[in-house]
Amino acid sequence: MNAMSHNQAGNAYNFGFLDEYAKKEVRRAILKAIAIPGYQVPYASREMPMGRGFGTGGLQLTLSLIGPNEVVKVIDQGSDDSVNAVNLRRFIEMTCPGVSTTTATAECTLIQSRHRIPELPLTARQILVLQVPYPDPLVVVEPSEDKRKTMHGEADYSRLLVKLYEDIVKFGEITISHRYPTRINGHYVIDPSPIPRWDVPKLNDSAALILFGAGREKKIYAVPPHTKAEPLAFSDVPFRVEDFRDEQGRRRACARCGCVDSFLDEFVTDSGSKTYQCSDSDWCDMQLSKARQTQGEPA
Amino acid sequence: MNVEPIWQADVQQRVFRELVEAFSRPGDIREIGDCIDGAAAQRAVLATLMDGEMTLADPHGQIEPADWPLLQAKPESVERARYIVADGHRAPDFQPMLGSLESPEFGATILVGIDGVGEGALTLELEGPGVNGRRTLCLAGLHPDWLVRRADWVGSFPLGVDLLFSDARCLVALPRTTHIRISGKAF
Repeated sequence: MNAMSHNQAGNAYNFGFLDEYAKKEVRRAILKAIAIPGYQVPYASREMPMGRGFGTGGLQLTLSLIGPNEVVKVIDQGSDDSVNAVNLRRFIEMTCPGVSTTTATAECTLIQSRHRIPELPLTARQILVLQVPYPDPLVVVEPSEDKRKTMHGEADYSRLLVKLYEDIVKFGEITISHRYPTRINGHYVIDPSPIPRWDVPKLNDSAALILFGAGREKKIYAVPPHTKAEPLAFSDVPFRVEDFRDEQGRRRACARCGCVDSFLDEFVTDSGSKTYQCSDSDWCDMQLSKARQTQGEPA
Repeated sequence: MNVEPIWQADVQQRVFRELVEAFSRPGDIREIGDCIDGAAAQRAVLATLMDGEMTLADPHGQIEPADWPLLQAKPESVERARYIVADGHRAPDFQPMLGSLESPEFGATILVGIDGVGEGALTLELEGPGVNGRRTLCLAGLHPDWLVRRADWVGSFPLGVDLLFSDARCLVALPRTTHIRISGKAF
């Protein structure tokens, strides 16, 4: 045994659930993923005690990175309180004794997220782990993985660009709402996981390391800090993010905190009307707290 | 049972996090001396990354024979190994794996032992992913041929090798994407 496991009293599992050999496999893949930005490194994805598709790829990254002094935040579509986030957080708390969990983006050192990058800009001391259902952006134009690997190696994305062009011909603009193909460091195009377009610019020149884990598809890839990330677009049809203006052209505000510069979720109220609220619940709480302080109320 | 710290999982986790930082931010010097309790940094990295699945080459005889059974890595020729341990004082007289277009991760990771990381007369100017603008890095005890050979090895991205320099206590990484200049001349 070249890595003495560190079981703790009362805990039937190794720290971080995965055995040390599984962690080493994931760790080697992480280092190669960082060294080759955007390249999908294959790895031996382990069975986890939850179904594939519930964030097992992201979870294996988190459990391979995590140490006893970690402060972890788990979010699902921006929310700390949705089912996927709560379950994964509980699992991490159960299998990693000593680890702290938080909902505050500013306090955490490791964030596991499904489908959102937090609104608060990440810092150099943080690592963001994104859960990925479909890692390969070329799968829509090429069914053979062998051929896709060659296309990636040659940075041959012409068929993907044709697909985007067809969108423009049919609809007048590129209609991809999430998983927007993004070119990393001028070579590999990645599927940045189902984050909305709103979050894609945050990949560019990020202060934090961003890791992507696809458990079912057995791939790990990365966008290192301060790396160029460009969404695929055409010079005459530039990339744009979601437009939250109403019919009068005013920017919609969050119904809860009043924020006018965050990504909004749309809700239908009981009366049938639409209302909008920040998708990032920690950001919404921060804005609410700030607003109350400005008004002299207790936060 | 008294187990040396580098073989313990919690120490390996800390070394790995330093490796993540080192590869994410090329040229950023990571000090691991305190957590590995006097062991050489290169040995701690090997203990952290090696197991029975990996191939390892030691062309300059850097690894103690007693460590091989603990590392569990499969010995392999330097031309075919995924990981290579080398002495930075000596010119690299070998051709490592560079990977293939389809599988560039087979490009070797080379652990190069040198006298000093962050000191010495050789000053490199670094640019590329992970470097915010430009960063300088000083190295002591590196044979000049290393940079010339590295330039050949990493010339056709995504093929290439990833270098990790270490002295007794510190690590610094130069992945294949990092552009190096010395006194304005590209390497």
